[in-house]
Amino acid sequence: MKLFITTAFSFSLAIISYACLSGEEKKESPEEQVSAVAESLNAEPPNDSSVVLSAVMPKGIHAKPPFSLESLQDDFDEFSWQSFIALNWPANADGTPNTNLTIGEQQAGANVWQLWKSSREVFLPNGAKPNAWGEAENVPKVCRNLSEEELKKGIIQLTQVGKTPNVLDESGEPFQTGPLIDQNGQYTRYEILVNEIMFDYIVDNKLYNQEGQKAFNQDANFPGSVPNTDTMGAIMVKAAWVKMGGKYDKTKFHTTYALVYNNPEEQEGVEEACELVEVGLVGFHIGHKTKSDPQWIWSTFEHVDNVPTKGEARNKDFYNYYSADSDYPVNEPPARPWDPATKYTTPSQIERVIPITKEAQAINKKWQDALRAAVPNNVWANYELVSTQWPTKPESVTDPAGAPAPPFLANTTLESYIQGKIKQTSSSCINCHNNASMTNGKFSDFTYLLQRAQKEKN
Amino acid sequence: MENEMKNFVGLSAVLTGFNESIIAPGIDPINIKEEYLAAFIDNIGTALCNEILSKYESLKAAGKTDREIGEGMLDDSNGDAFTMACRKLIFLWYSGAWPTLINQGTATVSSLLSAESYTQGLVWQVMQSHPMGDSDFRYGYWNEEPPALSAFTGNKTKN
Repeated sequence: MKLFITTAFSFSLAIISYACLSGEEKKESPEEQVSAVAESLNAEPPNDSSVVLSAVMPKGIHAKPPFSLESLQDDFDEFSWQSFIALNWPANADGTPNTNLTIGEQQAGANVWQLWKSSREVFLPNGAKPNAWGEAENVPKVCRNLSEEELKKGIIQLTQVGKTPNVLDESGEPFQTGPLIDQNGQYTRYEILVNEIMFDYIVDNKLYNQEGQKAFNQDANFPGSVPNTDTMGAIMVKAAWVKMGGKYDKTKFHTTYALVYNNPEEQEGVEEACELVEVGLVGFHIGHKTKSDPQWIWSTFEHVDNVPTKGEARNKDFYNYYSADSDYPVNEPPARPWDPATKYTTPSQIERVIPITKEAQAINKKWQDALRAAVPNNVWANYELVSTQWPTKPESVTDPAGAPAPPFLANTTLESYIQGKIKQTSSSCINCHNNASMTNGKFSDFTYLLQRAQKEKN
Repeated sequence: MENEMKNFVGLSAVLTGFNESIIAPGIDPINIKEEYLAAFIDNIGTALCNEILSKYESLKAAGKTDREIGEGMLDDSNGDAFTMACRKLIFLWYSGAWPTLINQGTATVSSLLSAESYTQGLVWQVMQSHPMGDSDFRYGYWNEEPPALSAFTGNKTKN
């Protein structure tokens, strides 16, 4: 890129004058800075056997010296895999992990995060108070019209009880960048869920409606996890699902039955509808606030067959969101109008713009091998970490985003059309969520969910 | 090569008045210093670059203060090409662009290195502000006092 600016030369002279007036006292060297950052991570003790399939959610990274950008990135990527394993562990009816099973042993049941509260359960019409944690979901009226017989096949079997399927009520990507169309011509569906810590903070501070946020009148500050203690912090997840059937082999996916809801609030002209559908997981974001990472740690996973990487060989017979036979423009959303009820839309043609690093690929292989060793044909070995974004300067007062590494990160199923490396345009979890505010303009602590609060009806 | 970068960063810190930890953090996901060093060598040539960095290294090794090093680097006795290259390096760090003098040295035409060099320009830090079109400050920041200048430069400053 070449841009030309003409300025008076006095500009550089002024700079020289400034330079000579400052620079009187050094605070810390880059080497001291590395140590300070590593210390600020409040890292958990090194764990020699990092590949342990555990149901325990990590509260911080295992930082291993000598510290560098690369070594810390690896540590955060290990943290991401540990988190992915713990969140996708089979759940008991109360949402705790079922430690009688290991990950991948139970296909029909729900995983830990699938029993969390979805955004539509937290931010209710008329700003109503959400049901207590663990209480049944408020499904859209139209979904209640499904016959019991129909609904029965979707009931998720948990220990001793059954659970109503989750509602997938979103079919578009952030900032109206468009829907993602699968190889069967169907819209990809999304849901966002929060853990109990995050839910409690929202309810306790009445942030679930606009009046409550106004009365709160301060920046949100969710609890952060503290390593080596019992303190767990706020966690939110976002999942992307593709409808099973047609060109998709369901044995390759983590599947579940879900109430796929066409939400009229998403786009003008969308008519409310609901159907019970078997869906497969294709994308998964995890946002975890820790005490030492107030900008949160952002992990993102994908199904290994999602897309090829730009400029690299297309070495798979089938991709979830790419076809060698397609002449549809790459990484372009479908034309408007967008309506998830459309019977068939030309499939999206998606490529990954920023390759997964070799280091992350090695970490992926290590964890995928461990999953296969634990359970033959373990479906979770079909998922890979794209990367983990974390703040390199979490305490910076001049950069509230904390200088994230890597600077850009996108999931091809969740930020398909905003991949790349252009600031304020391309996907960067921390930089984007750094702009999130509540309905009263106060900072919402890196979540856009609080903007969903409605006005309370008296 | 490692020494070359070390000297380049040290020289840049002295000339710009910013702390090394700001312009070249120990954990540096942007790594603009590499782009700047490459541009510096590309524009002034390897020989002059080596001469400049060697002079910085010797002044540093002699235990000179930052001010003394800065004055030593910009001294006329180094020759026009030498001092102009140092001044252009300052321009590069502050604006993210490489300058060329025109009209008998009365004006400058500059070429921005990249989108990253634009956002990394130190001029925004001195302004205690942000590049046009790129702010990492949060919604409503304009209604609050910016952080102190010393937080941006990494040094205590004389106001």
